[in-house]
Amino acid sequence: MTGRTRDPDYVAPDYIQPMELDPSGNVVVVPDERSTGPHPSGEPAGEVETPDPVPAPRRWAVRLLVGSAAVLVALAVGYDTVDLVRRAFDTSMVLGIGAAALAAGTVVGAFGVVAGELRSLRRLRQIDGLRQDAEHLRAAGTHGEAERYAGAVASLYRDRSDLAPQLTSLKDHLSDAHDDREVVRMVDLQLLQDIDRRAYQLVLRASRDTAIATALSPAALLDVAIVLWRNLKLVREVASLYGARPGYVGGLKLLRRMLGNIAIAGVAESGNHLVAEALGSTLAASLSARVGQGVINGLLTARVGLTAMHLCRPLAYDETNRPSLKRIRRELLSVPKQVL
Amino acid sequence: MPPSPFRDLTNLGGRAFDRVGELTDRMLDGNLRIGVTGLRRSGKTVFTTALIDNLLHADRLPFLDVVATGRFIAARMEPQPDQAVPRFDYETQIARLTAPDPAWPNNTKVTSQARVAIRYMPGSLLKRRLRGVTRLNLDIIDYPGEWLLDLPLLDRTYAEWSRETLALSRRAPRDALAAEWLAYLSNRDPSGPAEEAVARRAAELYTNYLLACRASDQLLSLIQPGRFVEPGELIGAPVLAFCPLPEPAARAGRHTLWSMMEERFEAYKTNVVRRFFAEHFARLDRQIVLVDVLGALNAGPAALADMQTSLSATLESFHHGRSSWLDRLLGGRIDRVLFAATKADHIPSNQHGNLRRLLDGLVAERRNAIRFEGAAVETMALAALKCTETVMAEHQGRQLSCVRGIPLGRTEPTVLYPGEIPDDHRLLDRDGIRKLNFLDFRPPTLAGRHGRGLPNIRLDQALEFLVGDFLS
Repeated sequence: MTGRTRDPDYVAPDYIQPMELDPSGNVVVVPDERSTGPHPSGEPAGEVETPDPVPAPRRWAVRLLVGSAAVLVALAVGYDTVDLVRRAFDTSMVLGIGAAALAAGTVVGAFGVVAGELRSLRRLRQIDGLRQDAEHLRAAGTHGEAERYAGAVASLYRDRSDLAPQLTSLKDHLSDAHDDREVVRMVDLQLLQDIDRRAYQLVLRASRDTAIATALSPAALLDVAIVLWRNLKLVREVASLYGARPGYVGGLKLLRRMLGNIAIAGVAESGNHLVAEALGSTLAASLSARVGQGVINGLLTARVGLTAMHLCRPLAYDETNRPSLKRIRRELLSVPKQVL
Repeated sequence: MPPSPFRDLTNLGGRAFDRVGELTDRMLDGNLRIGVTGLRRSGKTVFTTALIDNLLHADRLPFLDVVATGRFIAARMEPQPDQAVPRFDYETQIARLTAPDPAWPNNTKVTSQARVAIRYMPGSLLKRRLRGVTRLNLDIIDYPGEWLLDLPLLDRTYAEWSRETLALSRRAPRDALAAEWLAYLSNRDPSGPAEEAVARRAAELYTNYLLACRASDQLLSLIQPGRFVEPGELIGAPVLAFCPLPEPAARAGRHTLWSMMEERFEAYKTNVVRRFFAEHFARLDRQIVLVDVLGALNAGPAALADMQTSLSATLESFHHGRSSWLDRLLGGRIDRVLFAATKADHIPSNQHGNLRRLLDGLVAERRNAIRFEGAAVETMALAALKCTETVMAEHQGRQLSCVRGIPLGRTEPTVLYPGEIPDDHRLLDRDGIRKLNFLDFRPPTLAGRHGRGLPNIRLDQALEFLVGDFLS
């Protein structure tokens, strides 16, 4: 088809003339085209949003030590196992087969666990990558590249029956007219805010649990155990809610990163400050130390939970929707009343 | 002749009386008047229809906070407060747009008003405790865009206006259209006796000239006075029998042609323009200015300049500024203004950013003035009714972003590459314009199916900006 030119003596244009193309020709509706497009941010830029304050030096000696020790232990255990199986066969055929089967089961199980952990770690990394993509998209304000991001986030929650209505409405509302910033915002509004609400409830419950349990527990050592166990459980719950489904290693890793993050972000304050914050000085004085301790532990759990929400969300919070401690704090302040 | 101050005072008295009734209304319920401002063919009627339709269905407004957070309960149309103004015929408009053979609305001939009542849950805990379910009444008026251009007349005397209009009509591309009228004027003496027949004939020729301006493919916007082309209920009234005259050398005495025309011009200002303004625009809370940037681009640089002048002149008449709660109660100032480039669906969506920036540049001066007065200003590219979809098409080995839709007057969809619009109007020289070609598209077939409301582009964000804080 020729272009519609209003001026016939115009030659060699450096632009493409407005024209009508053949609608039956090679035409692709944009969202489909985008989903196969190139990666929006190019190279994922590594861990940008949580820089290590002190870069850890690569200590090859430690690596060598740990690596060799691990191989040595594996070798010893393997050698012993093989020895055990052989001796069992010597004693009786049945016993031998049983021992061999158990050994095989152990190996297969170990592989399964390791594979699962690796998968969950990869999923965590994937969510990190998504968060970075979203930041790039938000900053760039381009057009046509966020479909891929939206697709990736949607596929993260594909098998979740509880999120089916949200996913449907996200798909309904996205159109070819939205630019990247709008697509990212749409994912936030239609999909993630619902998850946020539920995660907030989880955090609220966990911090109440910790507060009451610490207040009632008789021994300090028990406190530590309760807080650790409840925090780890909370982190895993929150992460699963956001689709990260971390394994044990993943959960620990998250918890570790989170504690680091709390310190870096200055989220945690000194104990004194926390007491004052939680109770006000006169009230604190009038309450028993144990209850105060409970409230502080509850607040700590809440902070861990909120940080977990930050770290597991495929999209960073902006100023408007950042979850706040306010409601949790109010809730926790009613704990002393309930306990006393 | 400046208007008498007493006339203003009586006007004020009448308005104050009106407001006492409205005041109680405002105290009990949230009322919000939205001024949909736009020159002719900027899509006011379609915008109003789409706005009402989308509020009634509330299923295509993901970025309207009250809907996104699930606090929206329902909306419906209610009888409007002004009994004397016709009701906006939403049902007919929506039926036309969603018919199996859809059509755009005809030229708007008269003013009409619509009220949409929205029931919602307040977002803040305190408000929810205090009031529970709250309601907000949105009042929107629709009117012929031609009338809007009368507003700048309020600040002009007859002599000033005559001079400007005559100068404009002698410049290209208007000179050809005005030839007959100018020829007639050159044979008449403004300081001659006031003859009704001469006045009528001159006004008739002037009206023909204005009609020709309106019909020209140059999309000339500056057509004053607006009632000459859209008389509404004033057909044949003597107040419309005047036209600009060359200023007489000596001061014209009484009973001359000049003084008769001047009297009629002043009467037009007082009885027609001032009344229209007082009834519909003086008490606006929020304003959206619809600008058909693409139409002007299509028509050429002259049309774009013309549109810029008209818009800027029109907007001077409104009171902008931050409003306190007292202002809001009395309805004084417009504290949010949205400039919207309409018909954004005529270009592929990756150019929406450029369209918005282009509009930004066009209205920069007015925008800064309004912002200076304290009102919030925003610009946006939107489409009240989305008629096309963005597709990628291959052309000589290059991927082009195109729009696919059914052009007006055809039955088969086409894929159009409209060219790349620049992000600043200064980049548009005579040559630049030729790189662009926008087609008018038909409304999509069965647009309102599944009961979801009309498909739109950024109508929700426009609403969020205009009324979002009232629905929080």
